[in-house]
Amino acid sequence: MIALRDVVVDYGRGTRTVRAVDRVTLDVPRGQSVALIGPSGCGKSTLLFAVAGLIRPVAGEIRIADEPVEGPRRDTALILQNAGLLPWKTVWQNANLSLFLGKEYPRTTAGAVLEELGLSDVKNRYPSELSEGMKRRVGIARALSTSPQVMLMDEPLASLDTLTKERIQDLFLKLWARHAFSFVLVTHDIEEAAFLGQRIVVLSARPASVKAVVDNPKMGGLDYREASAFRDVVLRLRTELEREP
Amino acid sequence: MNRAKRAGRWLVERVEDRGVWRHVAIYAASVLLLLLFWEVASVVIRSLKGGREYLPNPIVAIREMVRLGPLLFSNFWISAWRLVLAILIAFVTGYPLGLLVGHERRLDELISPIIYIVYPIPQVAFILILFLIFGIGHPVKVAIVAIALFFQLLVSARGAAKQISLEHITSVLSAGASRWQVYRHVILPATLPSILTSLRVSVGLGMAFLYIAETTGSFDPVRGGLGSFIKNNMYSTGQAFAGIIAMALLGFCLYIIIDVVERIVCRWTYAARRSS
Repeated sequence: MIALRDVVVDYGRGTRTVRAVDRVTLDVPRGQSVALIGPSGCGKSTLLFAVAGLIRPVAGEIRIADEPVEGPRRDTALILQNAGLLPWKTVWQNANLSLFLGKEYPRTTAGAVLEELGLSDVKNRYPSELSEGMKRRVGIARALSTSPQVMLMDEPLASLDTLTKERIQDLFLKLWARHAFSFVLVTHDIEEAAFLGQRIVVLSARPASVKAVVDNPKMGGLDYREASAFRDVVLRLRTELEREP
Repeated sequence: MNRAKRAGRWLVERVEDRGVWRHVAIYAASVLLLLLFWEVASVVIRSLKGGREYLPNPIVAIREMVRLGPLLFSNFWISAWRLVLAILIAFVTGYPLGLLVGHERRLDELISPIIYIVYPIPQVAFILILFLIFGIGHPVKVAIVAIALFFQLLVSARGAAKQISLEHITSVLSAGASRWQVYRHVILPATLPSILTSLRVSVGLGMAFLYIAETTGSFDPVRGGLGSFIKNNMYSTGQAFAGIIAMALLGFCLYIIIDVVERIVCRWTYAARRSS
């Protein structure tokens, strides 16, 4: 579904460019999940933005559904750190934004998705009137509204308290099972990577390159956090992250 | 349409709840306090200056206002539409241009030096040229005010556009927004609160420039505007202060209008305050 071949991405402009991603090759089969984990500022978000079509790689190739990525695609949704909600739009308007921009609204609306995420009651509120957890759910609703094939997430649950975070991770797992999209999750949270990634790619410090790939075949159950396989994967990831290159 | 309907319903609700009446009462008390200060100042000045009426007391000024009613009103009306027209011209030109300059890097590099050179010049320095270009009628008065406010709004719109969070722009770009849609959904709404604040400043600034424009050049007792009215009655202080009160009322009305507009187009900022 998603294929990266020797992708190189620079960050910045003019003479002050910095290499953010160095020759990353990666495959995400249809319906599968990959977590990208690495130290802060390593370039993992930049890599994700390149997959989202917001930044052009200087070398290599990114393909989604066998087509080269040349800009934001209708079948790909991006969820940003603080959910990327617009404070001047209500929950309803935020959730429908992608549909509205694509002129699919009001033929298609995010009504069903908001219902599914338990947000129908707050649809006329503004983001500032919501709890942090609710805001992230609205961000997920907006991404799901276009029924995407690919979901890209840039630390979607950062700075949430542990319980809220785990509740949304559980919710996300259910949505993944139901909607069958492929997803790439960028995170610096080891447990989140182990809970949500079928495969976990450990990235090096900047410029990001693939340091290790950890398979995580037993993930997928809501009780996986208590499994010994989960603890093994967490330990393995910790070792890989701490290992000198 | 839906938005207008919602705004209308919201206004009706506000009038119905007690908040509005409390507001009106506080405003009235505040005006009374102002009149009291005025009266005290008037008494003090009279006693210091051997009984001369340099500063008329508010009763005299208000009585003059009533006596001069129709004449004052026609001048009020002329000043009002000149000021409103000038503000609108400055708004529809300065605001979009400021957003473009603030958001488009290339344009910023090209235009900003021009702004920095021209903005600090007091625009009244060009008053003679403007009179030569526009003649002595209405257009020159509107032009003087519009030019001054244009720069004011341009500079604040540019500043506001530069403050926009990159995350909001990334968010709509990833959702497939075109260039125009980025302006429509992010840059325009994000800058509205600060541009409305700037508009409030513009009312005061515009009033000062209007006074200069109306007191320069021709004299027309009926169609001269409030500036001309005040200047021509400079030595019968009661009448001059009737004109000054009219000017204050004009500013007050414009502030109220801006407040109402803000309540409608920036509803989200009130929601934020409510919940915090």
